[in-house]
Amino acid sequence: MLGPAPPFAGRHRGLQAPSRRRAATIRAGPPPPRSPPGRRRQVATARVQGKMASAADSRFGQKESSDQNFDYMFKILIIGNSSVGKTSFLFRYADDSFTPAFVSTVGIDFKVKTVYRQDKRIKLQIWDTAGQERYRTITTAYYRGAMGFILMYDITNEESFNAVQDWSTQIKTYSWDNAQVLLVGNKCDMEEERVVSSERGRQLADHLGFEFFEASAKDNTHVKQTFERLVDVICEKMSESLDTADPAVTGAKQGPQLTDQQAPPHQDCAC
Amino acid sequence: MAQEVHLNSLQELEREAVLQVLYRDQAVQNVEEERVRKLKARLQQLRWKGAKSAGQGCPEQRCARCQRGLGRLLNRGAVCRGCSHRVCSDCRVFLRRTGAWKCTVCFEDRNVKIKTGEWFFEERAKKFPAEGKHETAGARLLQSYQRLSSNISVVPPTPPPVLESQCSGISGRLQELGQFKGFNKSVENLFLSVTTHMKKLSKSQNDMTSDKQLRTSGPRRRAARSERRSLSDTAINVTTARKTSAPDILKPHVQESPQRPASPVSKQEDVPSSLSSSLLSTALRHGSLVSISSTCTEAGGFDKASVAGDIELALRYQQDSGTLEVCIGACRGLAFGEERKRRCNPYVKTYLLPDRSCQGKRKTAVHKNTVDPAFHETLKYQVEPDQLGTRRLQVSVWHVGALARRVFLGEVLLPLAAWDFRDHDSHSFRWYPLRAKAEKSEDSNPTPPNNGELAVRAKLVLPGASRKFQDAPEETGQLSPSCDGQLCLVVLGARNLPVRSDGTLNSFVKGCLTLPDQQKLRLRSPVLRKQACPEWKHSFVFNGVSSAQLRLASLELTVWDQALFGVGERLLGGARLGPKDAVGSLEPGSPSKVQWQKVLSSPNLWTDMTLALH
Repeated sequence: MLGPAPPFAGRHRGLQAPSRRRAATIRAGPPPPRSPPGRRRQVATARVQGKMASAADSRFGQKESSDQNFDYMFKILIIGNSSVGKTSFLFRYADDSFTPAFVSTVGIDFKVKTVYRQDKRIKLQIWDTAGQERYRTITTAYYRGAMGFILMYDITNEESFNAVQDWSTQIKTYSWDNAQVLLVGNKCDMEEERVVSSERGRQLADHLGFEFFEASAKDNTHVKQTFERLVDVICEKMSESLDTADPAVTGAKQGPQLTDQQAPPHQDCAC
Repeated sequence: MAQEVHLNSLQELEREAVLQVLYRDQAVQNVEEERVRKLKARLQQLRWKGAKSAGQGCPEQRCARCQRGLGRLLNRGAVCRGCSHRVCSDCRVFLRRTGAWKCTVCFEDRNVKIKTGEWFFEERAKKFPAEGKHETAGARLLQSYQRLSSNISVVPPTPPPVLESQCSGISGRLQELGQFKGFNKSVENLFLSVTTHMKKLSKSQNDMTSDKQLRTSGPRRRAARSERRSLSDTAINVTTARKTSAPDILKPHVQESPQRPASPVSKQEDVPSSLSSSLLSTALRHGSLVSISSTCTEAGGFDKASVAGDIELALRYQQDSGTLEVCIGACRGLAFGEERKRRCNPYVKTYLLPDRSCQGKRKTAVHKNTVDPAFHETLKYQVEPDQLGTRRLQVSVWHVGALARRVFLGEVLLPLAAWDFRDHDSHSFRWYPLRAKAEKSEDSNPTPPNNGELAVRAKLVLPGASRKFQDAPEETGQLSPSCDGQLCLVVLGARNLPVRSDGTLNSFVKGCLTLPDQQKLRLRSPVLRKQACPEWKHSFVFNGVSSAQLRLASLELTVWDQALFGVGERLLGGARLGPKDAVGSLEPGSPSKVQWQKVLSSPNLWTDMTLALH
């Protein structure tokens, strides 16, 4: 039921067979994409487009870096197979934009967004990773710095779902012990092409001990909720770690306390 | 513009794209570090305020925070559960949810931990104790990238011109990149090597000798450097406001000086400064990768180091406390660290080899402007008496120049095996001539001949069916069809390991069974903390192996020392058991070899072995 693929085999195949969304790849190496059907406009993007996108991003560098007006900073990593929509998900959340074009992420990228949770301004540095195997050495280097993860698969792509188990192993290997992970099934707007039922997703998430969302970057469903929930669970972990680490404050142990003022963190359920 | 880009420059573009991300990240990190520094400074101020009162003698009578007097009946104050200080009612912060309170400092302490992300670093350190606390993956990639690219003679790209138009920015960089045809590595190859080299990055970078690099950079290069810097100034000033003004380029060297007093605030500045140093200064650019760690610096050549003079030393060993005392008396007739200026600021540094970690480093104070310094300092090591025989004392003399660059002035190597510590004559000072660096070959083989012994008990468990073949295992072993045998090992303990300077180890054992088909089965024992002679009594069970396989398999047992901070795992020694023709198999015909054969030929029986670690 969970269908944990034989380790690495599943992911590898997933990488070899590009998703139908892929219109152009950024490297010369991989097999050419199949004809791109689908209602989303497919744009043959040269790698330069990605280049320009990142050049454009750097213009916002000043904004993202100079803003000191926040209480604390969380680092979040989005991982998952290639073309499951990690970048779109991030762009939707950070910029509220969506492009159907598929531009493979080169190595790593990040965006910064400040959210207000429980009266606190939390600056999120959200790292978007390349799903392709060839960048794995770079991307795994970032696991250690991440407090939370969004592990994404594509509900229209069985391979990407089968690879979830492997990704979770990667997290266990490279990240800290209390890494908070949210499993996200993306592209839930494409109901007619769904191959992974939400029930399977939920069961896998339960099995792995992750929370679960189905989301759509295109329709902007559950994107914000996903990030906010992740922030909340990180906050919970933070309070937990501070309360257990500091035996002197056992008197003030019960309940998570970011500070003295705190709203209960459980306010939106998954889905 | 976009169409002009060729496919064959793809990899460079990739590299560029990633670098841009790294620089953006660096800008974010700089701001974050600045914020964290402020937060911590504020907390420190709060602490100091409290500390003042403690110094006034009667803390019970005063609030530990605001120093207001406390009454005997009214406003008596109460003890904070966090810090056990008595504080007045104004210096308490009540937590809304629980109704409990903490004093302002404890409250702030917790707040700062949250706000700085310190809680995360603490949690993470539980799993990755070797991880640099605040160092990010990006910063390391960037640093290593710059070192790597310097090795293949590439000028590090300037940070992205933030406000320039994208087109000119790209074309400019492309032109720049085009000039460096020698650099054809794809970005992932580069980062692959970066990540593998990352492990080698020791935290003790202050040991790095930047003198060599500085000396090689003549005036021409200096000019080039400042020119390049001015090119990137505009870009950086926008993103990282104040950290990169021109005079700051000198800062990193100053901060790497070992003599700089460590204050809590300066400590936190280390990260950004080292970042900007690697970004801008060329000090590291000419250093080879190996010179990153202190270890390799020691081994590296110092072409211009002239060596002269003697050093006066005395060694003592206090049996009762297990302390080796290295008394540094004086030096005479040292070479000038800076020949041209006839200047010499010497200090003495010692290691108790083979331990080259920072914990094993001892240094004297720096004496200014003399070639005949009189140190009269005693450097101490905690060593077990039976460990002394395996150690060598390395005493080296260094010059600290301007910008904290260091010049090697000579060294003395004293093997302690031959040292008679009971002989009182050896307690007196003696002069030793300083020598040039020992041959590299000596350092390239850092494992001393014997690194202790490992006691192991082993048994080959074969299923009952094959038991009847036991009498003639040589022949039947090959025929045995069963693959469900088990190799059971109990790692009992180890002795005479090369301990750290404090005489202890956090040791663990790794076992790796390499089957004929090159399949490797790996197991490891838990870590035993703070023990010189660990007794793990841990059992390794390798499942699913047949005796035929085992005959061709090799078993490697290695003992490691896990450091708390800084350098990760240190290999203490290992032993390999395997077939006679196995490559690297040590000492054919040795007792352990015979024992191993015995294990294989007598299944289901325990065999005790003592393996020498190499």
